[in-house]
Amino acid sequence: MLLNGVRKAAIATAGASGEREMERTMAVSLRESVQLVSDPRNLDASVEEVFELMLGLACRRNPRPAVVEPESVTAVVGFGGLLSGACLFKSSSLTAIKIAARMTGMEFDEVDDTVKDGIGEICNMLAGAWKGKVPNLAANCGLSIPAVITGRDYNLHVQAPEFKLIHHYSFDESSFEVTIICDGLQ
Amino acid sequence: MTEIRTLIVDDSSVMRKIVERALRQAGLDPLVVYEAGNGSDGLEVLKTKQVELILSDINMPSMDGLEFLRQIRAQNLAPGVPVVMITTESSEEHVKEAILAGAQGYIRKPFTAEQVKERVLSLLHAV
Repeated sequence: MLLNGVRKAAIATAGASGEREMERTMAVSLRESVQLVSDPRNLDASVEEVFELMLGLACRRNPRPAVVEPESVTAVVGFGGLLSGACLFKSSSLTAIKIAARMTGMEFDEVDDTVKDGIGEICNMLAGAWKGKVPNLAANCGLSIPAVITGRDYNLHVQAPEFKLIHHYSFDESSFEVTIICDGLQ
Repeated sequence: MTEIRTLIVDDSSVMRKIVERALRQAGLDPLVVYEAGNGSDGLEVLKTKQVELILSDINMPSMDGLEFLRQIRAQNLAPGVPVVMITTESSEEHVKEAILAGAQGYIRKPFTAEQVKERVLSLLHAV
């Protein structure tokens, strides 16, 4: 439900550039380069880039998810255009607070609007960096405005995705998860 | 150094703070910052405040950064003031579109304070 709304927003963004953009979009196809688009190294490079440049943090990829904590923060940015789907960033509340503190130089006791805003921006930059790794995608895929969900009581279901990447990372003693779901490629 | 009045337009308040911090690290001091959460609010600021520099995101609700740029030019607000786009959209097409709409600089998110310094100082020195 949420993903549909985010995706619609991204499609609207991708379509906002008018007919010329549409013609160019129609002329390009990503279908033949699905292996390039779904290359897991692109996601790792994007996470490394965003965390290093914006937070000065070196992240390492973990083979398994960390222990699931009771409260979590999830940010979603939708893709629309040549590729449709979403980028999701998920962490515990404590990790979200640590990231926001690092971004702003402020201290937080709880996941307030500023923390949510910061996590939404991280997800936005991850989505932008990831799509920027594939030239056709960079120009022909729009991003939605980030949406942020708190709490754990939700399910994300995409019927027959083209591909799905779920990677786990950590820095210091904090961990987070980044997911790329693609449910349509033109 | 004379005061640098700067308008930062971004729907993320966190990003506005990060950009402001990068400007201060670039040595823009004294710096006066006006903030807006979208292009429409940015236009309202420009109707009442004089600025020497504008930094704007592209992907924003209500009025995006490209339309904001077009409106600045169409309404002849802030004539001669350099506008730098700071955005996750980084393809050559997006850069061209921003330049055509009137941007003088383009910074891709994520960015370093050094990149902001390089772009902004060269533009301010050119004015």
